[in-house]
Amino acid sequence: MGIMNAVPGLLDPIPGGKHLVNMLDYVANWARANSLWPLTYGTSCCAIEMMSSSMARYDIARFGSEVFRASPRQADLFIIAGTITSKMAPALQMLWEQIPGPKYAIAMGACTISGGPFMYDNYSVIRGANTLIPVDVFIPGCPPRPEALFHGLLTLRDKILRESFRNPWKEGEAIDQPYADRWSEASKAWAELEKIKDEEQAEARRQFKENNPDYKSPYKAVRVKKDAFPEVPRPEAPLIGLSATDLFSIALEQDSSITLYNSDSNEISPDRPNDMPLDIIVSKEKYVELISFLKNDERTNLNYLIDVTAVDWESHFDVITQLMSIEKGHKLFVRVSLPKDDSIEEEKRATSILAEIPSISHLYPAAEWKEREVFDMFGIHFENHPDERRLFVDHDFKGYPLRKDFTHPHIMKRPV
Amino acid sequence: MSLRRLPPGFREENIDLDTEEFFVNMGPQHPSTHGALRLALRLDGETIIEVVPHFGYIHRGIEKQAESMSYLQYIALSDRQDYLTAIQNNWGVCLALEKGLGIGVPERGEYIRVMLAELGRIASHLVFYACFGGDLGGQTALLFGFKEREMIHDILDEVTGSRLTTNFFRPGGSVHDVPDTFIPRVTSFLKHLEKTMVDYERFLSTNIIVLERTKGIGILSKEDAIAYGCSGPVLRASGVSYDVRKNDPYGIYSQLDFNVPVTYNGDTYDRYVVRIAEIHESIKILRQCIKQFPEGPYRGQEKASIRLKPGSYYSATETAKGLYATYVVAVSGDKPYRIHTRGPSFANLAALNTMVQGHKISDLVSILATLDPVIPEIDR
Repeated sequence: MGIMNAVPGLLDPIPGGKHLVNMLDYVANWARANSLWPLTYGTSCCAIEMMSSSMARYDIARFGSEVFRASPRQADLFIIAGTITSKMAPALQMLWEQIPGPKYAIAMGACTISGGPFMYDNYSVIRGANTLIPVDVFIPGCPPRPEALFHGLLTLRDKILRESFRNPWKEGEAIDQPYADRWSEASKAWAELEKIKDEEQAEARRQFKENNPDYKSPYKAVRVKKDAFPEVPRPEAPLIGLSATDLFSIALEQDSSITLYNSDSNEISPDRPNDMPLDIIVSKEKYVELISFLKNDERTNLNYLIDVTAVDWESHFDVITQLMSIEKGHKLFVRVSLPKDDSIEEEKRATSILAEIPSISHLYPAAEWKEREVFDMFGIHFENHPDERRLFVDHDFKGYPLRKDFTHPHIMKRPV
Repeated sequence: MSLRRLPPGFREENIDLDTEEFFVNMGPQHPSTHGALRLALRLDGETIIEVVPHFGYIHRGIEKQAESMSYLQYIALSDRQDYLTAIQNNWGVCLALEKGLGIGVPERGEYIRVMLAELGRIASHLVFYACFGGDLGGQTALLFGFKEREMIHDILDEVTGSRLTTNFFRPGGSVHDVPDTFIPRVTSFLKHLEKTMVDYERFLSTNIIVLERTKGIGILSKEDAIAYGCSGPVLRASGVSYDVRKNDPYGIYSQLDFNVPVTYNGDTYDRYVVRIAEIHESIKILRQCIKQFPEGPYRGQEKASIRLKPGSYYSATETAKGLYATYVVAVSGDKPYRIHTRGPSFANLAALNTMVQGHKISDLVSILATLDPVIPEIDR
């Protein structure tokens, strides 16, 4: 606003000049406050509420903010709608820097205030948008309703209307304001009041006991009556496709060394529920052969890959390949137990690859990304994988989050 | 090995280029990528050679966080995966927990679940309609889709207390019963929706601009759809009749009469048609539920704390996007040892690269809209 900011200095000494500056302030603020153009930026749930508020029912156009701009260079309001993760943070800061001033930011939703539901035990969520950019208005809610967004918008409008050329807009104003100190003051005052209240109540209780030594409270904890709701047995699931016994016998034809998971004997009990897929353990060497056989065999025809996932037990990894036949509907879980590599030193274990398994992405193209996810989260190397990179976390992220030995300052250690 | 270095993810191929080769970045902040998705495009002029999606811009570590939360707390996190049909995610998680607890749901509870889930499906498909129309350049469709969706949110608001993140189902039923106004409101909403759907279909289904831009664009063959693990409307538009509600029924879907709409071309237009047909099927299911809505308890007996027997449990449900599977590993205590979610959007997006090859960037936008991905469900 360069030249306009010099106006008060020029006009204020002239008789009547102050009024002129006030009038200029009024006009400029009126124009700014009533047509805030938001940037189209939304990462998650709050973005849907932001969209809802710009649609026919709520109609954000009533407040002059209907012009959602896709380019930050045309926007002057940044509604941060949705969780901010550490991978998104640089992009968000760049967007803020690209918006020309005067610019304002509204942090919409609990995630942008403190991390919200993802505050504790989380390694990737940024705890609050104000740690990245100056924020003018915070709107609580998960997600906030459109009405709440409008309240935030009107609060920002009030704030803009108080601006003046004498005290022009500058970036980071919100951070200079000691809102954090106000919070600590308020909580201190609150704690003092609580203390007084506790003391008074303790005194009253003591006096009551003195006056009524034989008193017994009639209060009883409210309990839901046991017969209020019935005990409903689990309905029996119908058998779909091949039965577990048939599937197991077919798999045994290819590889006689496979065993059932979580079972001492290799016999399937007749009262096994139909809705839990058969879970078999195969050795690492015969894994690809078995999968290839099950995929191409006409009886099983397991042509659909539901998922590839893993579980970290303390001593070993389990990689679970979940297969299904799309025509017949039966499912089969193939499990490979991978011992952890003991040769790596204790300090480097958390950040190094501890196991490897052959990839099945040449059989199922769907496995490519699923295996990348397992590599990303567990640090299990897939041999012959066409494109093994980190998938969700940054390429230079240290450690593998879903392992049990993963540590992060935000993740609390609890006894198991 | 050539001397130049390709950006990460691209395959080294020798392609005869008509014009100059370009690498263009799309996202993570882009109005057409439906959230924080980043696409790296390799272009020949304006024709797409290859697309490499990059994820993780909204990776919230839900699976890690779930390991330090109780089972009931995790239901609230499942809302925030596919927030367009949060109620169906709740169902998927509860189904897996019910298997571990060995409990069922009373009849009224099952009807409440089916009705809310189908309302959620309609809401999600209406958002698809809105975004699909909007991505093709029609602001009217964008406003249309969100108009009827608000009515569903009014119903959800009244029943669950929240518009988007419902957090309503629990193992053995739901948090509380539906109010008396629920059935009349759903009835009047369906009456309204059936009327307006006529307008909606007339607006897009036979619109010459839409037809020109969607017919024969982004064809996904039946073999590819199965190989890439697609599910939901994307799979059914390619001629595979697989719907978890029909082929692996859960809840009371086996007692209800509905069809699974299937089309055979596998192009953008077919994926749109399947979703519109699914709205009509959902209306049919809701009408049956209203007719048969029973009296009685809405939930089974409450447990003091949810503790699963040691073992692993798997549940599959059909959300608006496709096959939503939850895999729970329980060891002891009231916390899961591991929870894994198989989201439909992740697998559906894997087929994007095969679908967009040879098309223009504007077609990429419409193809991506018909995949209807929800990015937090991919990244989790």
